[in-house]
Amino acid sequence: MLLRCRIPLANFELAIDVSFDARVTSIFGPSGSGKTSLLDAIAGLRSMTAGEIEIGGKTIFSSTRAINRSPQDREVGYVPQEGALFPHLSVRRNILFGADRNGYSMKPGRITMDHVVEILEIRDLLDRFVTQLSGGEAQRVALARAILSRPQLLLLDEPLAALDIGLKERILPYLARVRDEFSIPMIYVTHNLTEVLTLADWVLMIRRGQLIAQGVPREVLRSTHAIAQIEEEKVENVFTVTFVESDAEAGRSRVRFESGEELLIPYFPRPENRFLQIRINADDIIVGIQRPAGISAGNIVPGVVRGVERLNGQALLRVDAGELFYVRLTASAVGRLGLKEGTAVFLIMKTRSFRLL
Amino acid sequence: MVFFSFETWQITFFSLAVGLASTFLILPFGIALSWLFARKEWPLKSVVETIVLLPLVMPPVSTGLILLKIFGRRSPVGQWLYDRGVEIVFNWKGVLIAMAVMSFPLLVRSVRTSFAEVNPRLEQIAATLGASTLRIVFVITIPLAYRGIIAGALLAFSRALGEFGATILLAGNIPGKTQTLSLAIFNFVQLGKDREAYMLLGITVFLAFAFVWSSEWLLRSGKAV
Repeated sequence: MLLRCRIPLANFELAIDVSFDARVTSIFGPSGSGKTSLLDAIAGLRSMTAGEIEIGGKTIFSSTRAINRSPQDREVGYVPQEGALFPHLSVRRNILFGADRNGYSMKPGRITMDHVVEILEIRDLLDRFVTQLSGGEAQRVALARAILSRPQLLLLDEPLAALDIGLKERILPYLARVRDEFSIPMIYVTHNLTEVLTLADWVLMIRRGQLIAQGVPREVLRSTHAIAQIEEEKVENVFTVTFVESDAEAGRSRVRFESGEELLIPYFPRPENRFLQIRINADDIIVGIQRPAGISAGNIVPGVVRGVERLNGQALLRVDAGELFYVRLTASAVGRLGLKEGTAVFLIMKTRSFRLL
Repeated sequence: MVFFSFETWQITFFSLAVGLASTFLILPFGIALSWLFARKEWPLKSVVETIVLLPLVMPPVSTGLILLKIFGRRSPVGQWLYDRGVEIVFNWKGVLIAMAVMSFPLLVRSVRTSFAEVNPRLEQIAATLGASTLRIVFVITIPLAYRGIIAGALLAFSRALGEFGATILLAGNIPGKTQTLSLAIFNFVQLGKDREAYMLLGITVFLAFAFVWSSEWLLRSGKAV
């Protein structure tokens, strides 16, 4: 899709000029960088000074050709941050609200109410009023409503931001399922690194209305000072690994990186899918400059420091240990060990610090 | 013995019937105009808003005089209507017009506020889901604002029943033809018929009580939704 736009905001102008083709494109940046305004402009809910928007070969806005389709005609499914469910309608009437957009019969496709309801596990909620839903349920219903309007593009505005951490982890897999199950491209706005790494295959990094980087998430995050923006956030490492074997007695499973390095993670039964995603928090990794002995941690992985970013007494290390690991330390620890680019280190990670997604 | 005289019944029924008709007459216009006020920007909007609110602050008698000038047979409007067999002045239609004009601002104020309280985000999202403006208004905006609409209608109805100044100018005070509760009370007091006046007074108190009580009950029960 093509996205070229200039949108006047309160304190600055949002100016974006990109063209990309991805299943999930993440717009990543700190709060107040104009992310929501960009989604509103794509959906036709906010006016732009100039620009051009093209989705799936169809131009929905062009200032030079005087095209400006109404929100009704853009075929964009929008899940705003607050969900915006219609409070006076049942869950069923909410999710069917946009279902007749093009007439049920005209677009057979793969998207049926049954399918969506099943994927998002909301069948038991159908006859409830939306005021009786929890935050996570409401987000799933809002998602179902947008998907059932059979859009050409899904816009998700920080769908997990309002949820607590435990709920986030439960909802994230639903988003992954939507991505894999329905072939609707998504634009996913977030300021959470984990969500970018888990879901997106393309990332647009914006700051104060300007595009500062774009590309494959791992590459972009490797090369930019993205981390300084997320000082307050939990920083997580997300890896795709292959399953090796499991031992219930020992309480652990073995997985392998693409590089061949093996890791121990908490026990889980042999999965159907060979590829798995695992996560570890950047605060849960210990760095040593010598290989330690006689400790309980199941993973001791050699690596090399590729970068050190300091901010407000914290330091974020990028360590190449077959895969790129982010490690967050205090500035004092970095000083004590004399860590700098090129230092050979060992990453010490407890088996139980890893989580399976 | 019949507790209320035929005359009392007639006056009460006439007031309620015309008041109700007036309320239903202004409801669609009031809702449409309130929506235009709350949701759209257009030229001269503030002028129109002011004109709509005028009857609320002007002396009702002045409003009545203006209406008399507009609908009197010597005005173009009155003449036009008369040619088509419609006469407004000094009959029940005059009462209806006076009630409608006087209660309209109360309806608009209440409905407009309740429209403004509906989260515009819900309407925007409805639009992205393909809903036309008309569908959004009828399926999202009005249902979410219904409490304000009912409250506004009750307020307008009450105001219509209490109408005096504009009615007496436009429709006169003709027993059995244009005499409403308010006009009749005034008339009976003037004639020294205190018993009849108090009887009607009792009816107005009862009606007022019933309205206030039922509107409060409606608002409370609405909370559950």
